[in-house]
Amino acid sequence: MFVVSYLNGGTVSHIVSIQTEIRDPVAIHAACDRLRLPEPVFGKAKLFTTSATGWAVRLPEWRYPVVCDVNTANIAYDNFGGRWGKQQELDRFLQGYAVERAKIVARNQGHSVIEQPLPNGAIKLTISVGGAA
Amino acid sequence: MTTTISKTIDIIVAPDGQARVETRGFVGSACRDSSRFIEQALGCMTGEQLTAEFYQTAATEQQVRQVRQQE
Repeated sequence: MFVVSYLNGGTVSHIVSIQTEIRDPVAIHAACDRLRLPEPVFGKAKLFTTSATGWAVRLPEWRYPVVCDVNTANIAYDNFGGRWGKQQELDRFLQGYAVERAKIVARNQGHSVIEQPLPNGAIKLTISVGGAA
Repeated sequence: MTTTISKTIDIIVAPDGQARVETRGFVGSACRDSSRFIEQALGCMTGEQLTAEFYQTAATEQQVRQVRQQE
């Protein structure tokens, strides 16, 4: 008797798009470490005329920090439409956070993770389900 | 004979931080269950697409169950 467990030869069966939300202080620290940014500091931070409370991240050449409230996933910042800090630096932090967050939860589940940069600037993570951490 | 193909979850994180999760090698709805932890960990789902392989493998899974029940 022949039993075929899987006939799907590694083709994609399911695609999900996700808007990244910053909710994990450990991954914030890991992203800062990855991007060689100063260590994030929790507290109340000044943003020109306003202030915000959360994890303050200092981005390169940004006048004010980006403040991440992990309870609401809100990110507070004031870069004056790019004059006080480039949007690309914030995007780079969001990418670093998503990569580190995915690696942390995958390894916590006992899966192995391989990271690979792509030519378009994206980063691909391959999680082997059931693999060693 | 048992044929097993590796099961992987690919995550592509764009330069702006948005992520796309793709499952490979899963049978039927198992792909949804297996990738849910990553989706929930990263943030808010903005879209979902099931490919032809999802329905193909779901049908295959049902056929294998029927064969096993007949044994």
